[in-house]
Amino acid sequence: MTRAKRMWGRIWVLIAIGFGLTAVLGGAARAGEEDDLQRQIDTQKSSVADLERLDELKAVTDEITRLKSWLDEAWGLRAKHEYDQVRTVLDRALKQEDLIRNLITVSKLRAQELKREVSLKEIKDKNARTRKTLQETSDKKKTLEKAAQ
Amino acid sequence: MRRAGFLLMTALCALGAACATPPKPRELEALDTLRATNQAKLPEVAKRSPDLIAEADRRSNAAHEEWQSNDLDESRNNALMAQVKLKTAIALYDQDQLKTQIQTLSGQQAQAEEEYAGLAKDLASEQEKVALLQKYVDARKAADADKQQMSQQMSAEQQSAKAEQDKLSQQLLAQQKIAAAQMALRTADTVESLQYARDQYSVAGDLLARAEAALKQNDYAGADANADAAKKSADDAAATAKPLYEKAEESNKNKERNEALVRDAPTIPGVKVRIDPRGDLQRLVIVVPEMFTKRNPNIAPGHETVLDGIANLLKKYPSYPVQLVGYTDNRGKATELIAISAARAQAVYSALAERGVETKRLMVSGLGGEDPFVDNRSAVGRAKNNRVEIVFLYH
Repeated sequence: MTRAKRMWGRIWVLIAIGFGLTAVLGGAARAGEEDDLQRQIDTQKSSVADLERLDELKAVTDEITRLKSWLDEAWGLRAKHEYDQVRTVLDRALKQEDLIRNLITVSKLRAQELKREVSLKEIKDKNARTRKTLQETSDKKKTLEKAAQ
Repeated sequence: MRRAGFLLMTALCALGAACATPPKPRELEALDTLRATNQAKLPEVAKRSPDLIAEADRRSNAAHEEWQSNDLDESRNNALMAQVKLKTAIALYDQDQLKTQIQTLSGQQAQAEEEYAGLAKDLASEQEKVALLQKYVDARKAADADKQQMSQQMSAEQQSAKAEQDKLSQQLLAQQKIAAAQMALRTADTVESLQYARDQYSVAGDLLARAEAALKQNDYAGADANADAAKKSADDAAATAKPLYEKAEESNKNKERNEALVRDAPTIPGVKVRIDPRGDLQRLVIVVPEMFTKRNPNIAPGHETVLDGIANLLKKYPSYPVQLVGYTDNRGKATELIAISAARAQAVYSALAERGVETKRLMVSGLGGEDPFVDNRSAVGRAKNNRVEIVFLYH
């Protein structure tokens, strides 16, 4: 065995160790990523329940359904170890969640607007009725004033 | 050769199929539809959320490119993400718009409520005034109604009083007319209407009785009419009876006067009185015997008392025409005797005139020795025939 051969042997051992470490560490990393994605999916799924509760007016049912389907898709991809795609879907789901929150706010604001409009109409109607009653009362007063002369 | 051509065609077709654009993914279609639907407000949305719109645009472009390059999975992924970004941007824009709208509505509502408060205040004020006016008008109406009621009551009382007054007036009038009819009947009685106008008087009596009966039954109109008719009948009866009554009364008076004359004449001392009727004509003859001596036309002395008595009698009965007739005895010529007798009558005429007797009623005549008072064969008889006879004429 020559010195060069021993050195090459050591290099090959190191390479082998490196591959072995890489394989061991890579497997551990994949397992950590999978868990992390699962947590994200679970977290978002639990958010869906919150969103459903917030959607009192049932204005964003379709979007929530879509979010659910995406989360299911992410779950499926996770099972297939398509982690990049899982992240893509989860990123989209996160934006969808944000969208749903905004849409819920819009629906609530719209309901509030409608309520205000109804309220305004009611008070305008009440004003019209009061104005009419006032006119009738004024007419009656004039008639009575004439009668009193 | 043929086989080589077939293989070439197949290869070309496979190449064409590989190079052709695949069908547009549903997600990309949806994204395009979403853009088209909100095209109008996208500029405003971009102002509100430029980052989101930029990201959506970038993703949209990528999706289209990936679709064109047949990378459909990435195209779908980007299309979906672009949808989410675009929808989020639109939602944020909508939120702002809605907030502004709500704010505007709140302002309008506040303004409307303020207006309502003013209107309600005005209405309350007007209603209060109306209530007061209504109270006043009601009170006035009630007062007017009371006044009218009182007026009606007064009017009814006045009408009742007037009716009573009218009734009393009618009663009084009927009583007055009955009294007038009674008076007319009394008046008719004074001219003996029962005797001289029996029928009319009876009718008047009957009508008066009817009038009195009607008055008792408060039939004033009937009483009135019957009393009027009774009065008219009584007046007619009186008018009819009056001339007859007056004639009879005159006759009675004349008779009484004649009888008085007959009674009074003999009271003159020294005269003889006799009644000497000639047909319808009654003649009271007062003879004054021996008033003249024979052939003397003057009145013998001592006859003043007789003449005074005769003058008084003539004055007491001034309505009788009186003849002064002179007589003589039968001794002498007739013409001479007539002249003497006429002179003697004239002498008496003068004596009576001197005593105030109205001479117009006296008629003087001389009949001489005619109609001797006593027999002329004795001197005493002849002396008595030298006389004047005062003759009262009446019917």
